[in-house]
Amino acid sequence: MITQTNPIFSCYEYNDGLYDEVFNAQGETKELYETLFKLYCGHSIEDYMQLNNKAKSSFFNQGITFQVYGEKETKEKIFPFDLFPRIIGAKEWDHIESGALQRSRALNLFLWDIYHDKKILKDGIVPMDLIGSSANYLQAMIGVDPPGGIYNHVSGTDIIKHSDGEYYVLEDNIRCPSGVSYVVCNRTALKRALFGVFNHYRAHTVTNYAENLLEILQSVKPKGIDFPTCVVITPGMYNSAYYEHSYLAKAMGVELVEGRDLYVENDFVYMKTISGPQKVDVIYRRVDDLFMDPLEFRADSTLGVPGIFAAYRKGNVCLANAPGTGVADDKAVYTYMPQIIKYYLDEEPILNNVHTYHCSRPEELKYVLEHISELVVKPVDESGGYGISIGNKLTKEQIAEVREKIKKEPRKYIAQPIMSLSVHPTYIDESQSFEQRHVDLRTFTLLGDKKDFVLKGGLSRVALQKGNLVVNSSQGGGSKDTWVLKDN
Amino acid sequence: MLARVANNLYWMGRYIERSEHVARYMHVNYFSSLDAPNELSQDRQFVLRSMKFMVGDPANDPDEILDEIEVLHDLGLNSEKGFSIINNVKSTRENANSARDLISTELYEAINKFYHFVLNYDQDLYVKRGLYDFCVNITEMTTILRGKIRATLLHDEVYAIIMMGMNLERATQIIRIINAKYNDALLARNGYDQDVGKSFEWITLLKCAESYDMMRRFYKKSPSSLSTLEFLILNGSCPRSVMNSLDQVSKHIHVLEKSKNPSKDSAAFFIEKVRAELKFKHIEEIEGNIRDFIETKLNDLVLIADKLEKEFFNY
Repeated sequence: MITQTNPIFSCYEYNDGLYDEVFNAQGETKELYETLFKLYCGHSIEDYMQLNNKAKSSFFNQGITFQVYGEKETKEKIFPFDLFPRIIGAKEWDHIESGALQRSRALNLFLWDIYHDKKILKDGIVPMDLIGSSANYLQAMIGVDPPGGIYNHVSGTDIIKHSDGEYYVLEDNIRCPSGVSYVVCNRTALKRALFGVFNHYRAHTVTNYAENLLEILQSVKPKGIDFPTCVVITPGMYNSAYYEHSYLAKAMGVELVEGRDLYVENDFVYMKTISGPQKVDVIYRRVDDLFMDPLEFRADSTLGVPGIFAAYRKGNVCLANAPGTGVADDKAVYTYMPQIIKYYLDEEPILNNVHTYHCSRPEELKYVLEHISELVVKPVDESGGYGISIGNKLTKEQIAEVREKIKKEPRKYIAQPIMSLSVHPTYIDESQSFEQRHVDLRTFTLLGDKKDFVLKGGLSRVALQKGNLVVNSSQGGGSKDTWVLKDN
Repeated sequence: MLARVANNLYWMGRYIERSEHVARYMHVNYFSSLDAPNELSQDRQFVLRSMKFMVGDPANDPDEILDEIEVLHDLGLNSEKGFSIINNVKSTRENANSARDLISTELYEAINKFYHFVLNYDQDLYVKRGLYDFCVNITEMTTILRGKIRATLLHDEVYAIIMMGMNLERATQIIRIINAKYNDALLARNGYDQDVGKSFEWITLLKCAESYDMMRRFYKKSPSSLSTLEFLILNGSCPRSVMNSLDQVSKHIHVLEKSKNPSKDSAAFFIEKVRAELKFKHIEEIEGNIRDFIETKLNDLVLIADKLEKEFFNY
C-alpha cells in the first residue's frame, strides 16, 4: 500500500489488486494524467470542497435531477458528479469507437435478419430457442421494414477496463439508452468549476451530440418526405429521465410530446398544436415499445398512441429506436456477439466480450450452481442494475437463495466471472478526500441511413460506495466528465 | 407548438403573476395597518379579514376571531390551501417543467430557485418574524422571472402565450384588489374618516398595486377614490392598470390570431371589444357603480380565458 504525499491526495490509498487509471503500480502518475494531477495538487482540499458544493448547487438549481422509483415519496436527487475527470487518449479511443460502431452495425444486421429471413438461426450460429423464448421478440415486427433499414438508431455500450488493462463490453443497450444529457451537463459543470484545466488538454467537444442525433433522425424519414418533422416522445415529467428528454428536444429544437399530444388518422400520425394538427414523420421514442400502442401491445398503456404501430408498419412514420430491439440487447444474446459480428461483417470483434455461462445449457448450469461465489449472476432481461448478485459479496444463505432462483428458471439467468472494474480517484464527501472507486464507461453510437456517429466522450459512471461494482444511478452511482483527447 | 404545452405556459404566467399579487397584498396591508390613522384600519382582525377576502376565502361570520398565525400560514405556506403562495409557486414550476424544452435554461433556473426558496422557507420563522422578508423576496423573484421571460425567450408564440396569461391574471388581480380595498374603505367609513372618497385605504390600494409613487407624480395631489380608481383602471400608461393589461393581452393575441378580421366568436374579437369598452369609459361612470363594474369586468376576463382555452388549448 503506497500513500500519496500531496495534500489533496494525502489520504489516497493504493490497492495492489485493482487497476488504477491514474497511478501505476509504483504509485506514480501515468503520463496522460501528469499535467492534470499537478494542476489539481495546486488546490487545497478546502478549495475542493467549496468547488464541489458549488457544482452541486448548480446542478440543483438547474433542476438536473432524477427520481428513483419505488420510494414512498419520489424525491428529486442530484446525479452525483465528480470533479476529477477521466481522460482517454486518442489511440485508445479509436479502439473503443471502432469497436462500439462495429457492434452497433452487427446488431442492426442481426435484428433485420431475425425479423426477416432468420438466416443466422437457420445456420445454427445462434440457437433458435434463444430468440423464440425471449420475451422481447416482438411477433408484430416480423417482416416490417423500418425506414432506412435501421433498428438501433441509438445504442449505448457499457464498457469496462479489467485488471488486465483491456476493455471489455459488459452489455449493449439498444432500447432507450439514457445518460447522454449527463455527459453534456458534466462537461458544463466542470468547465464552470475548473475552466483553467481545459487549457492544458485538447479534448473533443460533447455538445455536438444533439445536432448529430437530429441528422440521424432526419436521415431515416419516411419515403416521399423532404423536410421531416421530428419529435421526441416522453412518458411525461414524472419519468426519471425527463430531464434528458427535455434537454434533447430543446437541443434539437424539436417538440417534446407525450402520447396524448399525438393521434393517428388514416395511418398518419399528427400532433395537436395551437394552430391545429401537424403531421409527424420521425419519432425519437423514449417510451418503452410495449407502451407505444395500446391497440397493438399493452392495452392498459396510457403513455402511447393508439394506431401508431399500424402507421409505422405502413412506413408513414419512423420510430427510433425501432420496436422490438430489446431482443438483441438481451444478456443471453450478448454472449453470441463475437459470432454475430463474424457472421454479418466477417470481422473479428474489436472489443472483448466477457466470458458468459448460459444457465440454459445443462453443463454450464452445473458449473454456475457450483461456483456462485465466484460469479456475477444476472437476469437476462432486466436493466438498471436490478436483480444482479455478485458472488463474493453474498452470505451462505444468499448463495442458496440465488441457487434456488436459477434452478427455477435457468433461461432467465446468465453468469460471468467477476470482472474487476478499473478504479479512478474520486472525491468522497464523507471523508473529504480522494479515494479509489470503480468506474465504467457508456458510449453513445448513432446509426442512420448512410450516416453514423460515435460521441467522442461518454458517461463514466462511478460506484460511490467503497468496493461496490454496480455503477447505475438507480443504485447510488455518480459520474465523471470524460475527455477524449485529440490526436497530436 | 403543442396545445397542451401552450396551456401549461399560459398557466405558468398566471401563477407567477398571482403569487406576486398575493404576496404584496399581504405585506402592504399588514405593515400599513400597523400605524393606520383610524382604529379599525389598525385592527388586526380587520387586516386579516381583508387578506382572506382578497384571496377568495372570506371569513363570513362577523363574530369569528381569526387566528393571525393561521391566516398568515394559510396564505403563505399552507400547501393544503389552493390559494396559498406555496401552491402558486409549485404550480408555476410544474407548468414550467412540462414546457422545459421550450423555455430558456436561464428562465427555468430562475423558476427553480424561486421554487426552492419557497419550499425551504422556515414555516415558524415566516409566521413570527419573516413575513416581510418572505413577501418581499416573492415579489422580487417574480420580477426576476418577468425579466428572464422578456430577455431570454424568443418573442414568438411561446412568449405571447405567457404574456397573455400574465396580463389576464394581472387585470384579474387588480380588480380583485380594488374590490377588497373598496370593501375595506366602506367598512372604515364608520371610524375616523367619514368620507369614503378620502379614505386611507386608497393609499394602501395603490401600494398594493405598486403604483403609489407614480400616481402621486401623475396627479400631484393626495389620492382620492376617483383619482385612484381612474389611475388603476383607466390609465393606459400605468403598467398595473386594467387598461394596460388589456392592451398587452390585445397585442399578444395578434401573434396567435393571424386573421386581420377575426370572427365575432374568436378570442381576439372579444378581447378588442372589452378593451374598446374600457377605453371609452370615464371614471364617473364607474365610480357611481363600482360593484357592478367589478362584476362585469371579472366576468369579461373569465370569458376571455374561456375563449382562449377553446381556441388554442383544446387538445
